Amino acid sequence: MTPGLPVPNLLLQAALPSAARPAVVAVGVIYFAVVVAISVWAARKTRTASDFFVAGKGIGLIALTVASVSVSVSGFAFIGGPGFIYAVGLGAMYIVLPAAVTNVMGAWVLAKRMRLLGEARNLITVPDAIGARYRSPAAQGLAAIAMLVGIVGYMATNALAMGVVINSIFGMGLGWGIWIGMGVTLAYSASGGILAGIYNDVFQGTLMAIASVLVFLFVLGFGGGLGEISRTILAQDPSFLGPWGKLTPLAALSFFFVFSMGSLGQPQAVHKYYMLRDPLQLKWYPLLKTLGLVLVLLLYFGVGVGVKAFVLDGRLAPLASPDQATPSLLLNVTPIILAALVFSGVAAATMSAANSFINIGAAIVTHDLPVAFGRRVKDELRWGRAMTILIAVAAAITAQRSGTMVAFLGIFGWGLFASTLVPTLAVGLNWQGATREGAIASILTGLVITLALETAAYLKFFRFPAGVTASAVAMVSSFLVFFIVSWLTKRSAQSTIDPDVRLVMEL
Amino acid sequence: MTEPGTRKTTIIQDTTRSAALVALFSGILAIAVGYGAAFLPGGTPDWAPWLLAVGIPVALGAMMILGAARGRVGIGPLKYAFAFVVAVLAIGFCAALALPATESPLSKLWLGLPARAAIVIYGIGLLPIIVLPVAYALTFETQTLNAEDVERVRELARENRARSESQTS
Repeated sequence: MTPGLPVPNLLLQAALPSAARPAVVAVGVIYFAVVVAISVWAARKTRTASDFFVAGKGIGLIALTVASVSVSVSGFAFIGGPGFIYAVGLGAMYIVLPAAVTNVMGAWVLAKRMRLLGEARNLITVPDAIGARYRSPAAQGLAAIAMLVGIVGYMATNALAMGVVINSIFGMGLGWGIWIGMGVTLAYSASGGILAGIYNDVFQGTLMAIASVLVFLFVLGFGGGLGEISRTILAQDPSFLGPWGKLTPLAALSFFFVFSMGSLGQPQAVHKYYMLRDPLQLKWYPLLKTLGLVLVLLLYFGVGVGVKAFVLDGRLAPLASPDQATPSLLLNVTPIILAALVFSGVAAATMSAANSFINIGAAIVTHDLPVAFGRRVKDELRWGRAMTILIAVAAAITAQRSGTMVAFLGIFGWGLFASTLVPTLAVGLNWQGATREGAIASILTGLVITLALETAAYLKFFRFPAGVTASAVAMVSSFLVFFIVSWLTKRSAQSTIDPDVRLVMEL
Repeated sequence: MTEPGTRKTTIIQDTTRSAALVALFSGILAIAVGYGAAFLPGGTPDWAPWLLAVGIPVALGAMMILGAARGRVGIGPLKYAFAFVVAVLAIGFCAALALPATESPLSKLWLGLPARAAIVIYGIGLLPIIVLPVAYALTFETQTLNAEDVERVRELARENRARSESQTS
């Protein structure tokens, strides 16, 4: 946690108002029924560890794109994000503006090489790619440990977010919400693996896009167009529509840096490159994913700015907290069926993210860590399913019991992935001069700095200057260490690259 | 598989990747200095955000070039797309820093937003979307991946598997 910078509620944790109306409950029930149906179908098709962890490398372009959009946004795009805009103005847009470049940057830097490495080596995890690139089980194991630390936090916060949303829809209490949400996610994760996850993501991503576009259009109509909304805000709070909103320029730019460069290290997105059936279909992947993300993020901008104007002109009551922006609009202004779609969309987003992380976590424990120690698990499918259950149950218990600690765990997930994986993976797959010493030093730097700074800030031993975050400092440091150590050990660079990996890097 | 001699030549002549690496390192260094300046006793100096405003586009552009560079071909026609996007980001950030705050109820609106907000939302947030994914798709076969590339990788994978199986048996 970073006191120097206003911290958005990245993973929904604050209580939402009750939305338990018949229409909302009915749409919620239909939503869960569809998820179950998809999961039963996927479970019948999952027979091997490759099916379980990378969907047998047989996913088509459209399904992969929609699924990737779905796991990229989480509930933040629907609740925390609009609330953050409501609180700090346009400065909050610097979290999502990088989407204009990140998808195509990821395609150039990682997609082709990851997909071809999967082809050449039958790789199934992100640490697999690091191990193959540097011919180093140590680098693979270290990357796996860093990812596992991040996943523990993400899983606990996602479990709590699921509880918050399901409690809001069905009014059954937070504890039951956590266990029911995690139970459904677990059912399809353990039975159908990533195949169930992908096709549920397709359903969930479609739902999110439809809900987002409809809410955006409704806000524009209700507010008399973006111009009228802006005029209302400019009359009473002009700095809200300044280029940095109420943030400092350094803080806004810092968000842009962390969420653009950091996107190259997010395993839930990077892992999906392995799954595309035909590598040549990558041609249209960035365009489709970017357009999908724009649709899903319309709600983020529309609700954040719209609710600010509606509160200022008195059409909505002042909010008790910024996170109430979306629920307040949905439950007081929009048709109830739209509210039902959005609440189901938020549940979809949290479950989609949880499923991805459960699957990646299970692969780390059953595949990457044994490989790092020179061993292989005999039945990866069976152990993968067992680990899936264990991770999900542990996350639900953590979410229910550890209170504010969950918020702390969740906040550094993104930064930890970014600082430990971006230099090693994104630069390393494109620079033959990178060395395994550089990779190991960089991963260690990211891991240690992120954990040390976040813990010191959480325990209030240390306060960052305004605009500086632990994630940004850790990522910059791990980049510099990666370059410096690689240059210092450059004699070993060429000898650590196998011929097939070299071919993939030269194409 | 590339012969060792060819490999050395390729590495030496791969000036595009070398330039991208230098630019990436410089961009990250500029960002690091910007963050470091925030720790100075008098608070964040006015010049610190400018380092990020320039360093971020340079680092992102360099990363894209590093990924898109293909042996001696370099980045080919993609140089125009990359130059455009780096310029849009740098000009957008710098304009937001440099232009005076004049937002008021009487401000002229550009597609519904005051000028500086429009630069950020439509310039930084939308212009790259129009250019980059289209450039990626249009140059995909020549610059990124084609059927021959995939077949070369598959052929090498088959050879590796055969070698591995013969060693096992």
